[in-house]
Amino acid sequence: MPGDIFNPNPIVFRSSTKSSASSRQLLAAKKSLWMNEPSERSQGEEMDEDNEEELIDQDEIFELIRHIYDPEHPNTLEDLHVVSAPQIDITGNCVKVEFTPTVPHCGLSTLIGLSIRVRLIRSLPTRFKLDIMVKPGSHQSEHAVNKQLNDKERVAAALENPAASENGRRVSYWEGVG
Amino acid sequence: MDGLGKRRRDRRDCIRHAPLSVIIVPSLPITNITEISNGSTSLLNVVKALGEYLTSEEDPLRTKGEFWFLPTSQTRDSSSDLRPRVLTSFYCSKLEDSETVVPALKGLASLTKLPSSTSEDVTSIVDAIFMHVKMKGLVQSVRFLVFIIIDTLMARHRQVFKDMNNDFLGRYIALVDGEKDPRNLLVAFAIARVLLIEFDISNHVESLFNITFCYFPITFRPPPNDPYGISTDDLRQALRECLNATPAFGPLAIPVFLEKLAAGSPTTKRDTLESMSICFPVYGPALARSQARKLWNALKLEIFQPTDPITEEFALKTTQDLVKTIYVEEPSDSADSNMEGLARDVCEECIMILREPEKSQAKPAIKVLCAFMSTTPSVSRYTVAQVAPYLVKLYTNPDNVAARPSILLLLSDLIAAARDSMSVNKNDDSESTETPLTPFKDEMLGIVTSALKVPATWDPALACLLGMVSTEKLLSDEELGFIVHNVDEILSEDSEDGEEAKLLLVTISMKAPHHIKEQTLPLLFSMLPDDAPSRDAALERAKVWRILSALNTLCRQIELFETLVIRLTAKLDLLCVPSAPEDLEPRAAYAHSILMTLYQTILAKVDEDHTDVAKYIESLVPRLFNLFISSALSPNVDELITIDPRLIMVAGQIITSVVQSAAAQRQDTFVQALFAAYIDGDVERIAEGHHKISTSQHFLFPPEYQRNLVILMASAVVPLHKEVRVPVPDLNVFMRSIDVQRESAWQMMSAILNKRSADTSTFIENMLQDFWPQHIANRSLPVESRNRAIRVWVWISKALLVCNHTQAPQFTDLLFEIFDEEDIKWSAAKSFGDIVRTDTTLTKKNHASIKMLYAQRFVGRILPRIISGAKDSTEPQKQISYLVALTSLISSIPKALYIHEMPTLVPLLVRGLDLPDHYIRCKVIDTFLAVAEGDSADIVSDHAPSLITTMLKNSSVAEMPSVKVRISALRYLTVLPTIVRYDILHPHKANVIKQLTVSLDDPKRAVRKEAVLAR
Repeated sequence: MPGDIFNPNPIVFRSSTKSSASSRQLLAAKKSLWMNEPSERSQGEEMDEDNEEELIDQDEIFELIRHIYDPEHPNTLEDLHVVSAPQIDITGNCVKVEFTPTVPHCGLSTLIGLSIRVRLIRSLPTRFKLDIMVKPGSHQSEHAVNKQLNDKERVAAALENPAASENGRRVSYWEGVG
Repeated sequence: MDGLGKRRRDRRDCIRHAPLSVIIVPSLPITNITEISNGSTSLLNVVKALGEYLTSEEDPLRTKGEFWFLPTSQTRDSSSDLRPRVLTSFYCSKLEDSETVVPALKGLASLTKLPSSTSEDVTSIVDAIFMHVKMKGLVQSVRFLVFIIIDTLMARHRQVFKDMNNDFLGRYIALVDGEKDPRNLLVAFAIARVLLIEFDISNHVESLFNITFCYFPITFRPPPNDPYGISTDDLRQALRECLNATPAFGPLAIPVFLEKLAAGSPTTKRDTLESMSICFPVYGPALARSQARKLWNALKLEIFQPTDPITEEFALKTTQDLVKTIYVEEPSDSADSNMEGLARDVCEECIMILREPEKSQAKPAIKVLCAFMSTTPSVSRYTVAQVAPYLVKLYTNPDNVAARPSILLLLSDLIAAARDSMSVNKNDDSESTETPLTPFKDEMLGIVTSALKVPATWDPALACLLGMVSTEKLLSDEELGFIVHNVDEILSEDSEDGEEAKLLLVTISMKAPHHIKEQTLPLLFSMLPDDAPSRDAALERAKVWRILSALNTLCRQIELFETLVIRLTAKLDLLCVPSAPEDLEPRAAYAHSILMTLYQTILAKVDEDHTDVAKYIESLVPRLFNLFISSALSPNVDELITIDPRLIMVAGQIITSVVQSAAAQRQDTFVQALFAAYIDGDVERIAEGHHKISTSQHFLFPPEYQRNLVILMASAVVPLHKEVRVPVPDLNVFMRSIDVQRESAWQMMSAILNKRSADTSTFIENMLQDFWPQHIANRSLPVESRNRAIRVWVWISKALLVCNHTQAPQFTDLLFEIFDEEDIKWSAAKSFGDIVRTDTTLTKKNHASIKMLYAQRFVGRILPRIISGAKDSTEPQKQISYLVALTSLISSIPKALYIHEMPTLVPLLVRGLDLPDHYIRCKVIDTFLAVAEGDSADIVSDHAPSLITTMLKNSSVAEMPSVKVRISALRYLTVLPTIVRYDILHPHKANVIKQLTVSLDDPKRAVRKEAVLAR
């Protein structure tokens, strides 16, 4: 790992991925009186063919960024509580994402922020305006980081730079072609 | 004559070696060879005769002469003592001559393999080789000969070499120095291992070290299609055998290892770690002890800041081997507190790190400690004695409340490691009634049960308990009961989910089912309401489902399953009372979920080969028949839930699973009763239970809701053994009488036909003669009826096809005849897939008669016809039918059956993507996806552009209303870049990325997810 490590031993939180199973059950219970066969028996995931629209919500955006790896550690941003669902705000076509660096002097905050932005630019419809910022009071040079994160040229450079875009640990295939 | 042929071949070789000699190829030796072979002349005469050639000044000529000996010596086995001697010294003398080195070595290589070569020759041969052979000037194949000669001699006359020892070692080392070819190295390493182990190497340690460790780590990579087939791993293994051949290498090797570990790539690191692991035990505990600190510092880096998980794994393993080596001499009963050296230092170091249990470094620290558990018994005991109380203390410290989940998680890792170590350290027989954890059991149970009271620490606490419960001999029966009691409290609270709790209880149910039966089950059953939750009580309903799914996982064990059946059927009986119309559906749904639970549990039991399922043909099956028949015959049938077909379906599935487990004799008596009930109305024999069955109504020709009961009958008939006879006077008549009823009846018919086709030949004939022209080919009938008749046809064809019946082709071929009829061609074409697809009726489990390779035969016969039909554009109507038949067939059979036809199929399938039917499109894309997984994935390259266009079209919501198709299309777009070369895709990149943004805004979440992945 080149250079100094800003936070050699950060706190690891346990991710709360599990509650989804039971909430899905509750959702199904609201929809229908009838119990479905457990999903592992039925062929693949059942998809309702109704055309009810599902809007993009907090959780969906969180799902997109939670698996990004921290540049310093083999943990995801979710594990380190750098990002969380409540820190995401959607109003109309405007998405605001706040993130919390593990230490106030973290020099990689800009890189983390840009990784989030690159991931979202590639994964969200173009109608959304993105606003990525450090959580107020969590970084010593908060203003400078926020400014860089919303700087058009920095973002354009990050989109070109494989290091920033591959941080999501998934080389996006079609982007990778050629 | 083989020998002669070989000689001739060798002769040709030597001519090729010396093109100039054409003039002087002597005719004499040719005759001589045969003469020598049959012993009529002696080799000495040959030498004499060849005299002038052998001493000729002209290089090529001399070579030629000498060559004559080669084949001779190779083929002669009955040689006198003299001859090999003479030849040996002859060849050795020829080594001096740079021109004859190669043939001489060849000669020696074959000579040394002969049984006649003796130990006296060894010295002269190796002397000559060391003296005259300059390895650096020779090509690989010749150097290889040198290695082979030495290897052969070493194998056969090792003592001679040992007597030479230093004399030999020094010169050998000089000889092999600088060898680079992997083929030669493999032999060289094998020789080196012998030298290292069996020779006195004290004077040559360093130089031997140099000629082996200079190759470490192996970075050789075989070229693609390497004809010699030497893999990196072969070399690595061979070299490692040398590295760990002698303890003398120890002090020299450790610095090399450390250096390579620090600087290498991940592969080098892993190689180094593995080599260290096998070298430590050889190098000995003394060295390991003195180098322990240095080694640990290097290993620590790999564990605490791992390059990747695999290397981390290797580093842990190496640490274990280091510890094992150091403490190998430790008596296993030594006092725990006196642990000295590395284990102690590392334990203390890791415990220091554990002071902050929530930090990221705690994870590798506990991994190290867990790794220690599987080393030596003394280290293991010492580690537990240090760590377990420490973690308990940490937990009880009120300052650490926030970190409690992390502490318990660490503890659960430790418990699991302690459990796993018991199987590793099992060498000390049966006396170990104590597990390493036993001394700390009470403390741990204390904190864990207290943690069960706080929701935040549930999961890690359950993980700890799971570890403890699965440890042999750790917990007493009362303690298990105590745990069950505590865990039940979690289940009874309206917790979000109890997956871990369930898992724990299942583990306990394996050991002590009575605790579950006495404590957990009554609790769960009492939580199930007697009546269904009302329509809008979603929360209640979700809770019911949760309890039922808990029961499903818990009650697979024999004793518990019995309780489950009794309690749930009792619940069902309570629900099946006349009720007001508005309660009807919730109640039916509740009953359905209960039946579903029973069915799922039975399925799971069948999968696990539980034998007790069969006995429920005596209790559960009659209860179900009683329940359903009684309500169907009841006068106030409209107020009963049991006429709901969904309930009857599940009940049918339960009956199928139970009946299929029963033995043939039991099935026999059962089916007698069944048919007595259905045909003669004698229901008493099959249905028993407390519902009164009205006898006033006759059971034949029933109204719609009663007719549904045929589902139950079919479920019982489908899984019958082949030997069980269906008790009707004439099967042929019976079969015709049921052909108008629906899917269940068809399945029943199919199952009977499949198993007893010999008894039903008239029926088959009738189908072909009457049914086809009257019900399917008859244009005057309504479309719906004809389509239904096609379904019957499918089931019959299927039944005959899987048992390779001779008339099966007649059935399938008739379907082609209606490919041009607008109304029914679609269902006719689709049925090709249905016929061959595996289904749940005609299965081995249901004792159906299924012949090997029936699908292969069918596809082999039908596919060419369909392909040519789909290509033939003279009749567009038919062509579409063929196309539909093709897509339906292809998507129903395993890939292996059509992969060889893929080049012709791809264009047709691409056309299939334009068919209006969504289901077919989805199937076609799935077929493409299946093909993309194989080796011949790039078969679609030629069609990539059209595939991309169609897939993009199918993925946008504006053009494709079906969610499934959109998702499949996006999935295919995702795999495309991995299977098609990028230069083909590059022109489409911009377009695809642009189009995918449309899918990113799809109204459905699942579609958006795929679109994100595709980009």
